[in-house]
Amino acid sequence: MRFAILVGLLLGSAHPFAPPQEGLDPGALTKVLALEHAWNEAEQNKDTKSMSALFDDAVVYVDYDGTLRTKAEFLSRVKAEASQPEQEITESMTGRAFGAAVVVTGVYVAKGVENGKPYVRRGRFVDTWAFKDGRWLCVASQATPILH
Amino acid sequence: MWKLLIFFMMLAAAAPLNGQGAVPPDAQQRRILALENAWNQAQQTKDAAALDMLLAPELSYIEYDGTLMNKAEFLASVRSPTLQPLRIVNESIAVRVYGAVAVANGVVREDGVKNGKPFTIRERYTDTWVRRGDDWVCVASQSTQVPR
Repeated sequence: MRFAILVGLLLGSAHPFAPPQEGLDPGALTKVLALEHAWNEAEQNKDTKSMSALFDDAVVYVDYDGTLRTKAEFLSRVKAEASQPEQEITESMTGRAFGAAVVVTGVYVAKGVENGKPYVRRGRFVDTWAFKDGRWLCVASQATPILH
Repeated sequence: MWKLLIFFMMLAAAAPLNGQGAVPPDAQQRRILALENAWNQAQQTKDAAALDMLLAPELSYIEYDGTLMNKAEFLASVRSPTLQPLRIVNESIAVRVYGAVAVANGVVREDGVKNGKPFTIRERYTDTWVRRGDDWVCVASQSTQVPR
């Protein structure tokens, strides 16, 4: 959902805000933030094959309007011609590691055209990553419009 | 007093079966379900002390309007005299467990009075729980409004 223009900068800025956690793989946070970057790039390019590798098969994605999507439904929406994102900027992003989980929170702004109508959306997201089968996979993602 | 008793009964239902942490996955799912119900009960009765036990100090809480709160801010919002919840009920909930990480997705309906005005809201939520010792604590919670 979020392909960022300033992701490199944001990745750098996210690290200082995450305090050390108990039992943490010291590289977990860095790895997951890099995966967020990869997600953004893949989504921008509608590269659903690369995106698929980032998600657990049972991932649950909740869109900004509350729509619940499975992995297949989310990837299908990314691929859809009706959706033409023009620009999506991650305004802020920070991660926190909890041993076998990393939670990434942030704010994004998305501009584009959907079903022929232009849109601008600003929302807050949370992505939950879990360490499974020797790699980090996104197991949940949700977006919420910022209404104020 | 009876509300407190009910809360502790719910917590007891969520307690480890053998005290050694060797709990099968479906039992872990039941524990998370019990904790989610305990959360609703505590929030409905404005029992911030009970909620305090369910939430990690590092909690990130995102309200349906995009407001980001930490644990202290969320508990203060629960205590606020301007909010009087009458009923908080899960319409649906599903829990996935990834070792020491669990994700609960569901739809909750809340009826109450805010600033003297009655309200009803339905929200789709994602709660991320991590296991610490024998206990589970919620580290992230996010809601997105859905049509009534």
